[in-house]
Amino acid sequence: MKHLLFLLSGAILLGLTSCKKDVEEGTMTIHFKAVYDGQPLQTFTTHPFENGQQIEFTHLSMFVADLALTHQSSLEVLDDIELIDLSFENLASAEEGYTLELTGVPARTYDGITFGIGVPPDLNEKVPADFPSSNPLSKTSYYWVGWSSYIFQKTEGKLDTLGNSDPDLGFAIHTGSDALYTTLEGDPAITIQDGKNTNIDIVIDYKKILQGVDIKASPQNHNPNDIATITILVNNLPNAFSLFQ
Amino acid sequence: MSGNVYKPGYYTLLAVLSIALASCHDTIVSGIDPSDDLTRIPYNPIVYNVEMPADYPRLEQPQDNPMTVDGIRLGRKLFYDPILSVDSTISCGSCHSPSLSFTDGLSRSEGVNGTTPRGSMSLVNVGLHYHGLFWDGRASTLEEQALMPVEDPIEMAETWDRVEQKLRKHPDYPADFRKAFGIEAIPMIDRFLAAKAIAQFERSLISGGNTRYDRFIRGEIFLEENEQNGYLMFFDLNPNLVPDAECGHCHNAPLFASDGYFNNGLQESPDLLGFSDTGFGSISGLQSDNGKFKAPTLRNLVFTAPYMHDGRFTTLSEVIDHYSSGGKTSPTKSEFLYPLHFTESQKADLLAFLLTLTDSTTLTNPEFQNPF
Repeated sequence: MKHLLFLLSGAILLGLTSCKKDVEEGTMTIHFKAVYDGQPLQTFTTHPFENGQQIEFTHLSMFVADLALTHQSSLEVLDDIELIDLSFENLASAEEGYTLELTGVPARTYDGITFGIGVPPDLNEKVPADFPSSNPLSKTSYYWVGWSSYIFQKTEGKLDTLGNSDPDLGFAIHTGSDALYTTLEGDPAITIQDGKNTNIDIVIDYKKILQGVDIKASPQNHNPNDIATITILVNNLPNAFSLFQ
Repeated sequence: MSGNVYKPGYYTLLAVLSIALASCHDTIVSGIDPSDDLTRIPYNPIVYNVEMPADYPRLEQPQDNPMTVDGIRLGRKLFYDPILSVDSTISCGSCHSPSLSFTDGLSRSEGVNGTTPRGSMSLVNVGLHYHGLFWDGRASTLEEQALMPVEDPIEMAETWDRVEQKLRKHPDYPADFRKAFGIEAIPMIDRFLAAKAIAQFERSLISGGNTRYDRFIRGEIFLEENEQNGYLMFFDLNPNLVPDAECGHCHNAPLFASDGYFNNGLQESPDLLGFSDTGFGSISGLQSDNGKFKAPTLRNLVFTAPYMHDGRFTTLSEVIDHYSSGGKTSPTKSEFLYPLHFTESQKADLLAFLLTLTDSTTLTNPEFQNPF
């Protein structure tokens, strides 16, 4: 009987030992924050734009894809696709931003972070009906038939073209199509510790995004044959994104 | 489209389950008044397989409410039975008639206590709307939605407590609920099972797949020139040839609806708080959503007049005129509404395309009709 007890205790200890996780993991919280000229961006408030015009935003959103931490030459992919809605009507929400919580991140120091703005080509060849309703790619309001593409990024608002504080021109600048899928990379070392959370802010400055974009001349842009306006916007993305820890 | 029965291997499983249930009978129902006992009635659920057009999204069903033949049969009865209203005059079907593609032809629907603030929405393909129901999105699921009209003081003005009593005392419904959900005793009939049954029936209301538009997309037919022009305008497919009508942003294929909520320029407001009907804003709690409403499906819209949430437009021509004008000004008005200045010819082309979305078989589908 005594031997049996020892055996049983040994088995329990062995079992407990084997329950200890092999991989050390932490969590990472990313706050995506929209700003305009460095200030938290609230929708339905005006900001100075180019040539004395005033601009106000009514909707800001974008797909972020293949979010990964880089470690030497390998990628730790944390999120395949996320629809980031940055439309916040009050200051507190704008300062908080869109929060993305990532769990099960292997603990180590990474070399940097990488993600795409838009929908990668392998997913962009599909249509919303291909996805369950829980997937952001199921949203038909983010698919444009004329491009056979998801809408990667929506920047919508109104422009006061006369400078009289009366926004008189609505604009909706949407990006899309495989050619405009953009991958961004940042190389600050990011340390994930076992059992702990790491906070990161990714700040997007819409003044920089719209630099050189002639909104007045092209307030809507769904012509599949004319992507000049949105190409300017997409080319501005690397300069508009900043990362803070 | 119609439904049929999915059989392979299921009967065997059901037989086993039925036997197991039967063998448990004595222990499960002991203590139940014999007059309430429903276990003598067979419970043989048969999965209802909905035939879906190939390009439609998958019809998602809650795990706790899969569609069955008897569930839909019960839901259809409840849908058309005025027993749900306080004076037995109004049923779901009163405002959602299949002959009008599940609308009622009124600008604002009539309930037992007067006129509702908004018109009835078409229910075709309603089971595929996963991002809110009603014009303002106040219900998340069909099960949740089905509970609401009964206790609405204008629509049915009844209480679910009383409806449950009426259903329990009814000569037929207890057996129907037993067949649909396998309940063992009459007191188990409740509002939640009733709502589940109605939701099952509503999920079965699939329309489309063989309209002129659908056949055109599949390459089976050519559209007429005016229809084709309207198609190009609707989706902005050839802006060098025809103007962009900006329709596809809110009414995207294949359902010609959207997961979003939009202000389509029906209300004038100088600021975010000046809307007489705040719509989605009253549900989201965000001022920036004031004046926005669900974009309804355009499939079968020829049967769903009058149009808009308040039924202000009697004809489709009036609707097209409204969008051509750019609508009324307010802070939340969609950026896609601005003066488009369509010519009469372009308006006619757009209308011709909209009519290619007509599926008149939905109106006469025997599986959708009032069973009483």
